[in-house]
Amino acid sequence: MSMIPTMRHVRGFDVVRPLSIGMLMFMMLPLVFLPLLSIFIFGTSKGLASFWSALTASEAVFALKLSMVTSFWATVFNVVFGLFAAYVISRHNFWGRNALIVTISLPTAIPTAVAGFALLLLWGPYGTLGRFLAPHGIQIMFTAGAIILANIFVTFPLAFGVIKPVFDTMSRSLEEASATIGATRWQTFWHVTLPSLRGAIVSGALLTFARAVGEFGSTILVSGNLAGRTQTAPLYIFAKFNEGQIEAANAIAIVLALFSFLIFSVLFFAREWLDVD
Amino acid sequence: MRVVAYMKRRSLPGLFLLLVLLAASSCLPKPPAESGGINITLYGFSVMKESLEKAIYPAFAAKWKREHGEDVRFTSSFAGSETITNQILQGVGAEIGIFSIDRDPQRLKEKGFVTADWHTGPHQGIINKTPFVILVRKGNPKGIHDFADLAKPGVRLIHPDPVSSGGAQWSILGIYGSELKLSEKQSGEPDKARALQTLQAIWKNVISTPGSAREARTTFELGNGDALVTYELEGLLMKQANAPIEIVVPQATIFSEHPAVVIDRNVPAEKRQVIDAFMQYLWSDEAQQAFVKFNFYSVTSDAFNTANKEFGHVEIPFGVDYFGGWAKAYPDVIEKIFRDQVQRRK
Repeated sequence: MSMIPTMRHVRGFDVVRPLSIGMLMFMMLPLVFLPLLSIFIFGTSKGLASFWSALTASEAVFALKLSMVTSFWATVFNVVFGLFAAYVISRHNFWGRNALIVTISLPTAIPTAVAGFALLLLWGPYGTLGRFLAPHGIQIMFTAGAIILANIFVTFPLAFGVIKPVFDTMSRSLEEASATIGATRWQTFWHVTLPSLRGAIVSGALLTFARAVGEFGSTILVSGNLAGRTQTAPLYIFAKFNEGQIEAANAIAIVLALFSFLIFSVLFFAREWLDVD
Repeated sequence: MRVVAYMKRRSLPGLFLLLVLLAASSCLPKPPAESGGINITLYGFSVMKESLEKAIYPAFAAKWKREHGEDVRFTSSFAGSETITNQILQGVGAEIGIFSIDRDPQRLKEKGFVTADWHTGPHQGIINKTPFVILVRKGNPKGIHDFADLAKPGVRLIHPDPVSSGGAQWSILGIYGSELKLSEKQSGEPDKARALQTLQAIWKNVISTPGSAREARTTFELGNGDALVTYELEGLLMKQANAPIEIVVPQATIFSEHPAVVIDRNVPAEKRQVIDAFMQYLWSDEAQQAFVKFNFYSVTSDAFNTANKEFGHVEIPFGVDYFGGWAKAYPDVIEKIFRDQVQRRK
């Protein structure tokens, strides 16, 4: 009955190893590999020249730039905020602390479309706050600012989620030692605490950035989706797909796919490199 | 090891340097639309894209430059008619809207976005029109020759979503009205029960409801479904691109009529002149002929329409006035017939 274990022992060869690896790859084939592959096949089906001209169309270039810039600022904000929030929450115990942790994590589960219209209901020209700003000519929605706000909302928990566990497990003895030799709180934070968070900060930033670049659901609601003005790369892809220009959509999709591949590769190696302490 | 430790110590300032560099280069990209001249923001329903971008915009910009020496640029967004209306209601800065259905500017008027009555303009504010047709696969394998054939079992139909698409609402009026017209022709009385039954049977065959007519066309072009109900111009554009499809013109079908409206609330006083000039231009011979070239029917001249040899022949054409205008057609057909008796019935 027990053929396989016997064989394994006899031949000194673990059948389960290639079998399980092969099975893993096979399962990922239709779920991830093939869908990604079809983007590449379709995007280049009309030749590299048409792929290139789709990529360098002025609206496409603008959309990519806009995505990068808005995601960058959302990342800066969320890393600084995540660092601050993780510091406060893991160093102090206070009433409402757990509720705060839950609230920070909420955007993970909220549909991005809800994030979008929640922002519209607040900042829109007829929104709770927006209606008081509109008469002064201040409009946040349907500008790049709205895209940044939406990115901040949907990526809110990411950097915090990576940084907080490191804070939690960090040995306090180094900080205490630093304090006993006369360092101020700020010096301790800058020279002792922060350096040990390097890995977490870099991976938190990359995760936030990658997620923000791909954001669609909230952006389509708050940006106004004007080509060459407030249209981000994912919106451009969606618009081109709807227009039936599937090659144009695919060209940008390829760029974003390669981009996320790059980000996660960097993430993988950066962690190994920065986290050894 | 010491080198690694050194690099690690150095990497934090390095990281900050990188951030500063990135920040410095991270000024928002300059939209090409704002680099001088006048910019007009136009939101249009999905299938308006080609005629506007390829013909109307450049021709008007050239004309304005000739007459006033100023550059005019257009920024536009295209989506389902109901979708762009909702965007405008949320506050996007559209200065001109081109809608599939009259109900949409009506909604904007009720909320104070549009103050003038566009019906008093030329041709009741309608800039062009087009009949609703059925697109099928090459060789018409499912044998579809009229709307009623879409109800046959086994036909998989792509139909835009009437919640977001004006074209979808035209299509529903077209199917329902076509059955009324045909029964009227056969027995002298429009048979409402028959029209309802046909609509119900057709809706059972719908496999996908994309958000706009253009999205529905893309879904169909990707090989989904046996048939698509849409604007005739979509079928003609597809045929010109050598798509393997055939256009089936129903015996009786509706002509959709598309209003262009100034969103008064969003128009600053200094832009009024150029926007009014653009609106007038839409009914000029040059613009109307451009629409015909892009397979819309002109509203100003039937002579222009005969120039397009691709137009199919509609034996019994009708318009939304057959239902008493949109003010009646929307509550009576879209709400009471379609929403209450077709969509909700399972």
